[in-house]
Amino acid sequence: MNIQIENLSFRYPNGVLALRRVSLEIAPGEQVAVIGQNGAGKTTLVKHLNGLLLPTEGRVRIGDWDTRHYSVAKLARRVGYVFQNPDEQLFTKTVAEEIAFGPRNLGYPGERIQELVEDALQLTQLQAMRNTNPYDLSPTWRKMVAIASILAMDTPILVFDEPTTGQDAASVTRLAMIIAELKRRGKTVITITHDIDFCAENFARVIVMGGGQVLLDGPARTVLGKAEILAQTYVDPPQITRLGLRLGLAEVVCTPQEFLDAFEKQCAA
Amino acid sequence: MHERLSFYVKRESALHQLNPLTKLTLVFGLILPAFLVPFYWTPHLLLLLVVFPLAFLGKVQGEYFTAVTKLILPAAGFLFVMQALFIPGGETVLAKLWFLTLTQESLMYAFANAVRIFVMVSSFTLFMLTTHPSELMSDLTQRGLPGQFAYVIIATLQIIPQMQAKASTIIAAQRSRGLDTESSFARRVQALVPLVGPLVFGSLVEVEERAIAIEARGFTSRRPKTSLREIYDRPLDKGLRWLLILIMLASLVSRIWFS
Repeated sequence: MNIQIENLSFRYPNGVLALRRVSLEIAPGEQVAVIGQNGAGKTTLVKHLNGLLLPTEGRVRIGDWDTRHYSVAKLARRVGYVFQNPDEQLFTKTVAEEIAFGPRNLGYPGERIQELVEDALQLTQLQAMRNTNPYDLSPTWRKMVAIASILAMDTPILVFDEPTTGQDAASVTRLAMIIAELKRRGKTVITITHDIDFCAENFARVIVMGGGQVLLDGPARTVLGKAEILAQTYVDPPQITRLGLRLGLAEVVCTPQEFLDAFEKQCAA
Repeated sequence: MHERLSFYVKRESALHQLNPLTKLTLVFGLILPAFLVPFYWTPHLLLLLVVFPLAFLGKVQGEYFTAVTKLILPAAGFLFVMQALFIPGGETVLAKLWFLTLTQESLMYAFANAVRIFVMVSSFTLFMLTTHPSELMSDLTQRGLPGQFAYVIIATLQIIPQMQAKASTIIAAQRSRGLDTESSFARRVQALVPLVGPLVFGSLVEVEERAIAIEARGFTSRRPKTSLREIYDRPLDKGLRWLLILIMLASLVSRIWFS
């Protein structure tokens, strides 16, 4: 299901113009990271994808649905949105019930809900904690519960708002695995992140925002090499990319493996 | 973020410069005479000659008269009508409506009472428009009000916008999970649990965090505390307060003397 954003402008009721004529197209199955300084308009942008915010000007289409004509509850069939703070959504007594809440709202048959919950538990490695109260889990695992509760809705598009904030290395690795699995299943994943390494290692396409506009949009390798434009929105390229640039490698590298390959090629030459 | 924490309007004016305690005394220096002085036209004169000019002196006339038309006038008007119609007694009957009688005495009484309420609400409104809550609190704590007491008041003022913001995030999060909050009544009632749950849990967690945070900043320390806000108490303030206390005493005496 593709996403079409045409000339989207958004003004908050207090007068702040948070988005200025943003146009984007995201194809089905793309893995997109959205980066940029605080207040650049990242969250405002992704909140348009499931109708939490409606365009002041322009329009947003999810497949053939114009978000202005569908309620958030309806759009939840197409776009799953994981909020930053899991504590703002957890309310049931057990992890499994929490995960079943979304698919039940969407009206899936009982058997399918069962399957989806099992699948989400397994993806997030929460199987052993299925009967635990979410509030007895550590914040790291609570985040996983929140993610699982959206995964189980089986939407073609998933939005993550800063999934790595406050997570330990194990949890970040788990997240990377989840995103890789979603990619394998052909889902569209859009992630806001401040973790530039996470962005470089897991996303093929990077959108850089600043001042309510899209500053850069393209393959990670192209975008993350443009240090001057990134600096406008207070983003540093990943350390490994900067090292590569300093060493004058022929190509821009985003991951340690890419660095090693490029470095060997350089030495051989 | 965009919710206002209080009614306070930041301006440069003579009223803004007064010490918070002076302004608080002024509030009572207006209310007591309006209610106590036996002379019939006291509240009316106070309103026209003191309260209205004060709104201009404080440069908050716009905000004040908005409050008057939206809130104070309707409330006082309602009170006036009810009292005029339902207070028994009075000889001079002006009109009879079915079982209601309107007498000159009840009309006069209702008019004075409505204006008293007008003066009371107006003086508090002016006070809140020109006094920042934390300025009032730091002034009162420096004068010996227990910090816990001030904290309770400030926290109560702040918790409403915070809860609102939190509630709207929770609603957004649950709607994103397909929760229907917009259709039938039965649906809406069902939707309450997923909304109230996180709000209550979250607020409890927040209370604990808040307690730890203020404790870490020496809240219970018994040493004298400094304040970021410098609050002025000029000789003018002291003089005004004494004057107002005298006015309050005088109105009390006049009440006892003439009745």
